[in-house]
Amino acid sequence: MARIETVGEALARQGVSRRAFLKFCAATTSLMALPPSMIPRVAAALEAARRPSVIWLSFQECTGCTESLTRSDSPTVEGLIFDMISLDYHHTLQAASGEAAELARTQAMEENWGNYLVAVDGSIPLGNPGYSMIAGVSNLDMLQETVEGAAAVVAVGTCASFGGIPHANPNPTGAVGVGEIVTDKPIINVSGCPPIPVAITGVLAQYLTFGQLPEMDELGRPKAFFGQSIHDRCYRRPFYEKGQFAESFDDEGARAGWCLFKLGCMGPITYNACATVKWNSGTSFPIEAGHPCLGCSEPNFWDKGGFYQPLSEVEWGGWAQLGTAAAAGAAIGAASALAARSKQKKAREEEV
Amino acid sequence: MTLLDFARGPAMQWAFVIFGIGVGWRLVGMFLLLRDRAKATARRDAPVSDGTRAIIMRSLPAKELEHHIVFQHVSGYAWHIGFFITVLFFGPHMPFWKSILGFDWPTLPSEVITVVGAITIAVLISLLVRRLSHPVLRVISTADDYISVIVTILPLLTGLISYANIGFNKETNLALHLLSIVLVLVWFPFGKLMHLFLAFPTRYKAGADYGRKGVAA
Amino acid sequence: MSGLADIAVSVEITTGNVVPLLHEVRHALQRLLDTGEPTVIDLHSLPLAPGELDTLEEKLGEGEVSATLNALGPSLLRETAVPGVWFVTHRNANEEITGQYLEIVKVPAILEAQDVDIRQGIAALSESLEQANTQDQGETHDGSN
Repeated sequence: MARIETVGEALARQGVSRRAFLKFCAATTSLMALPPSMIPRVAAALEAARRPSVIWLSFQECTGCTESLTRSDSPTVEGLIFDMISLDYHHTLQAASGEAAELARTQAMEENWGNYLVAVDGSIPLGNPGYSMIAGVSNLDMLQETVEGAAAVVAVGTCASFGGIPHANPNPTGAVGVGEIVTDKPIINVSGCPPIPVAITGVLAQYLTFGQLPEMDELGRPKAFFGQSIHDRCYRRPFYEKGQFAESFDDEGARAGWCLFKLGCMGPITYNACATVKWNSGTSFPIEAGHPCLGCSEPNFWDKGGFYQPLSEVEWGGWAQLGTAAAAGAAIGAASALAARSKQKKAREEEV
Repeated sequence: MTLLDFARGPAMQWAFVIFGIGVGWRLVGMFLLLRDRAKATARRDAPVSDGTRAIIMRSLPAKELEHHIVFQHVSGYAWHIGFFITVLFFGPHMPFWKSILGFDWPTLPSEVITVVGAITIAVLISLLVRRLSHPVLRVISTADDYISVIVTILPLLTGLISYANIGFNKETNLALHLLSIVLVLVWFPFGKLMHLFLAFPTRYKAGADYGRKGVAA
Repeated sequence: MSGLADIAVSVEITTGNVVPLLHEVRHALQRLLDTGEPTVIDLHSLPLAPGELDTLEEKLGEGEVSATLNALGPSLLRETAVPGVWFVTHRNANEEITGQYLEIVKVPAILEAQDVDIRQGIAALSESLEQANTQDQGETHDGSN
């Protein structure tokens, strides 16, 4: 657990040649969505960068975010990035448990006070601390205690960023994202259900290389991965432009790969890198597989009507409501007509 | 709740309610008023054919007047047709209509709709400019005239902006487009947009009335 | 249920980026000739429709030199039929692609032996030579009379 080792030293220790290191830097640069001309800068920075301590707190989550990040068991770029940080506390990945695990957390905090990163997945229940406890400590308390000496907080996944699934109507646990509790530390939201692995590692790489968090959008998400909407980068966009839509699953249009707008695609209002970076190392993404985008990186995506409700479908209220309104209007109209009629009658009498 | 959630949800619901109440109020209030009882003998007793004929004849201006009003005549038809093509035959509008009517129909290519929509906006704006600059129109135009044309232009404009994805982000553009529809629905019962319901009945009544006036030759 | 292979992923869509990219390559080549300045283009940074990368590879063709690099996974550095234009594909130990680049350069920098590695090589070679020397001396010592 050599926390003061630099990345360069760590790589040398693993027998990674300079050539291999350069290949690694090229991949890291690409990962951060930086141009290849930045590779030398990234190489210089990584060589001297100290491995930051990362404390990963898991709250009301499904562990999907960790699964997304740790998919392969052979060294990938993601894996290497993971090696480049000193992951000092993580429920799923750590060997220790119980008291020893909690001791690892507090020790890491002490030894790296002011410099460690806190990664959070899962939402925090505010309704009743008993809804989610770790080692007898509520999520709220553990979060507040752990971020005190943190340099920054990375909210991994939509649950930690915006409340996610637990936050969906009726939100029985009073779940909220990290940003609603922590207000005095820089927070970066890497949303998605789960987030694309490179989005997580890209943020860590940015912090590792340059010692700062990347440029963020108004929801606190890294612009490099969340700056474009799915709609703006979707390969099916020409079909939207032409007006060729799939009307139902597996119909002619769907088989021809037409736009999925009418099947409820949230692509136009969802910001993520699915259409460019894609999933499973660039294999595909939901729309390419024939399913409309769920909008999983946006706040409240569970409560936007329905996953198969097109964006142009509105809550107009239904015929019964419209009929009742018209009837109410008719009643008022009849009343006003009656009043007018009596005036008309009087006017007629006066004419005569 | 985002602006789009608000526009698609509570705003739209209230818009339809206000539309329902307003239209019901105006139509019933109007039709229940006492009509002047005609005191003279009718020239002939054919109100239905007279009224129906009036609806058709008044949709086509008299030949003698045509060269005075050709601009208004052609522009009026052009933008109404363009408006209905845009609203009824644009692909992404179909889920909206289907959720209200329960059925949908074939649509036109979206590039065609873009051109039609753009032309419709251009015609409407030219008519607005004419209303502001023409000496007679300027004097006789009321607030209702101006509000109604602006309320009609806004959905077309916001729709085009949203489709072209310029200005704000897509979500905000869509929200503004839906809010412009809310505005149409809310303004509808209070201004001359009511001609959608009233134009034909009033022409019918005028035709029926004039049909019985005069003396048989 | 029909086979997955029956589901069409339309490849008729083009982003129109292939031709401008080739123009960029041509300009970079001229720059390389005039000033020696290399250019690296990250192919993952451009929107390319499915199939367009293959079209690009086809248009550039295959050249005389092909090099494989085994460092943290295999990488292929292939000169295209256009001399000075190298198609570089980096893969990790899982054979997953971690980066694809067009390098307009005389020789991709990563093919050169790096100073740090050379120094390590010298140290390792020196050590093995010393060991061999000691062994020889030992043998001579044992073998001699």
